[in-house]
Amino acid sequence: MPESVFGVVGLFDSADALMAAIPEVRARGFRNLHAYTPYPVHGMDEALDLPKSKLGVLVFLIGSIACVAAFTFEWWTSTRAYPLMTGGKPYNGWPGWVLVMVESTILFSTLTTGIGMLFAFNKLPYFGNPMLGSEAIASVTRDRFALMAASDRGALDVAGATEALRAVGAAALEVVYEPDHARPGVGWWVRTATTIVAASAVAGFGTWWAIRAYPTIKPMVNMEVQPRLDAQRPDAFFANGRGMQRPPDGTVPRASVPILDTVPDDAGKSLMNPLPVTAAVLARGRAQFNLHCAVCHDRLGTGHPWLDSTYQAFPVDLQTGPIRAAADGYLYWVISQGIRTMPGYAADISPDDRWAVVRYIRALQRSQDAPARDLK
Amino acid sequence: MTTATLPETPAAGRGSPALWALTALGAAGMAATYAVAGPERFWADWLIGFVILVCVALGALFIVALQHITGATWSVPLRRVPERLAALTPWIVPVALVALLSLPVLFSWTQPGAAADPVLALKTSWLNYPFFIARLAVCVAVWVWSYRVLVTGSVRQDRTRDPRATVTMRRYSPVFMILLALTLTAFAFDWVSSLQASWYSDIFGVYLFAGAVTSSIAATALLTIYLMRRGRLAGVTGDHLYNLGGLLFGFTIFWGYIAFSQYLLQWYADMPGEVFWFRERTTGAMAGVFALLGIGHFAVPFLGLITRNSKKSWKRLCWVSVWVLFMEIVDVFWLVSPIQGHGLHLGWPEAAFAAFFLAGGLLVVTRALRMGEDTPVGDPFLADGLHFHLR
Repeated sequence: MPESVFGVVGLFDSADALMAAIPEVRARGFRNLHAYTPYPVHGMDEALDLPKSKLGVLVFLIGSIACVAAFTFEWWTSTRAYPLMTGGKPYNGWPGWVLVMVESTILFSTLTTGIGMLFAFNKLPYFGNPMLGSEAIASVTRDRFALMAASDRGALDVAGATEALRAVGAAALEVVYEPDHARPGVGWWVRTATTIVAASAVAGFGTWWAIRAYPTIKPMVNMEVQPRLDAQRPDAFFANGRGMQRPPDGTVPRASVPILDTVPDDAGKSLMNPLPVTAAVLARGRAQFNLHCAVCHDRLGTGHPWLDSTYQAFPVDLQTGPIRAAADGYLYWVISQGIRTMPGYAADISPDDRWAVVRYIRALQRSQDAPARDLK
Repeated sequence: MTTATLPETPAAGRGSPALWALTALGAAGMAATYAVAGPERFWADWLIGFVILVCVALGALFIVALQHITGATWSVPLRRVPERLAALTPWIVPVALVALLSLPVLFSWTQPGAAADPVLALKTSWLNYPFFIARLAVCVAVWVWSYRVLVTGSVRQDRTRDPRATVTMRRYSPVFMILLALTLTAFAFDWVSSLQASWYSDIFGVYLFAGAVTSSIAATALLTIYLMRRGRLAGVTGDHLYNLGGLLFGFTIFWGYIAFSQYLLQWYADMPGEVFWFRERTTGAMAGVFALLGIGHFAVPFLGLITRNSKKSWKRLCWVSVWVLFMEIVDVFWLVSPIQGHGLHLGWPEAAFAAFFLAGGLLVVTRALRMGEDTPVGDPFLADGLHFHLR
């Protein structure tokens, strides 16, 4: 069977010579020109009259889709699936999502650029270009620039193309033939599948074996391995072999007096405020109150929260009769343990500071309902 | 290339009568502003003009220094354009001197109650009249000196053809970059942030810098296109415009990145001492300006210049540049104007100030268009630049 001609190729010494030759060969009626160069030559698209690359459009589309998808995902999780209040922000806190949207856009644009160029448009891995079987390709990968007058819809005037390329100064002229396009047989598929399975097996078992044989190497263990007691772990330091010791019977740690009452009203009867009413105690109470309490109860204790209405908090007005009538111990219990939606502050405010806050609340109440003798 | 040479006759430097008339009209409107709308409006508008002037002038110097510092050859044929644009720099001196009178009127730290404010009290070592004026003097001196080294030196090279001048400018450029970072940050903190001195944002100097460079590249592109269309920049092609468009595109993204970073951090932290500044600028009458800024200063030039061909097309680059310059005005208006309280302070006084500063600036720039040759003919890299092609 006579082989069909793919094209006639010639070599040039420089990119400029190649660029100069293209319009002359084109003028002789050879429209389907291919160029092969060792590096990208700017302006080649225009010279060969190649269609505008669609890669940019594809990248823009995929990037836009990634941007919208990231927004939709954030919007769905934050407002529909798991509407959780974070940092007092509305559910639809879109400014915080912009970072995710930008990063998704960049990631998918970059992947589309790489994958799209290599696989979608350059059709890699494709080793079937007849040029790869030519003598010229070895020079092209080194330092020569090749121009091919390729057959147009299966037709090419080989003698005319050779003459045209010689006339513009091309050297090492060569006719390149189409390969026979035989479909891969069963043997090819078996070989390919076996190779993939074997490679996966080697990689998988190799990794499994390497992890077992060589545990994680830790270059610096000073922080991790040190003489210390770990909570909930046995330890040889104490005689009873425990890492964590119980306090001796009948003792309590300093500054952590346990609250034994389970109901605030009981605490009101059993607990006494140990602090005197002095300017120092009131100042201490005011500092703690303005730091922890005022955000919900307001600085005067009137219960007008500074938080946005979306927070859905309805703090108690500390100026009302029931709170005025409540004992100090009651207030101390509430500050420590929390009540209804109010959290306990035992971890944030020390016991003495809590008692100081109670004293300060009394001062606030008196300031809003001062008897005449206070106004002298 | 034209062969117009120095020196010009004085009569040729007077400028267009229309521009002079517009400047005079603007000046009359400014006087009326002071009399009718009050000193606060007058000084706020003056400050807007002052900040934009500094941004465009220093942005132009930055472009010049950027070309030297990177050893770029493609930009040599059109480097005279930002150099001429930088001729605005000496005019910072009179505008700044007048602006000093705004200190007692506008700035929160000069008000009588400032000493009682716990935040402002901590800043008095930085925000006081002597140190403030000294900083301004140092900044302006650095800018005018840099203008002399980078621009006057380059224009002198047209006559001397001395390649050592290029070496001098290339050696000074990195120094200028460091000085610009320090002085422009100081300027941004002093003249824009300290209007409401209890607010702070560490990134603010970079924010103003991003706007300055974006608008200067836009102005450079416009002037380049103007000169190209008149045949005064032979050898400058669409490939040069492509690079200018690329810079404009890149710095548009940079501005968007910085502007959003500044907003996001303060929005997220929601500290009362910080968010009041954004609250004044994103709610009420300013909400529209804020939205316009986000769309106009970022999305429009981003989409307008995203394709390869749009950066080469002088028409596209032209309208994007005009739009970017307009957005820089909107940006500085958005920064400064809200200190006057609620509402949109936009009307005939702003038109008068815009007329004065725009027409006055154009007078300076059109005068500067006669400064030296149209291309730096003494630069040894000019030939490389003229042969620049993307391929």
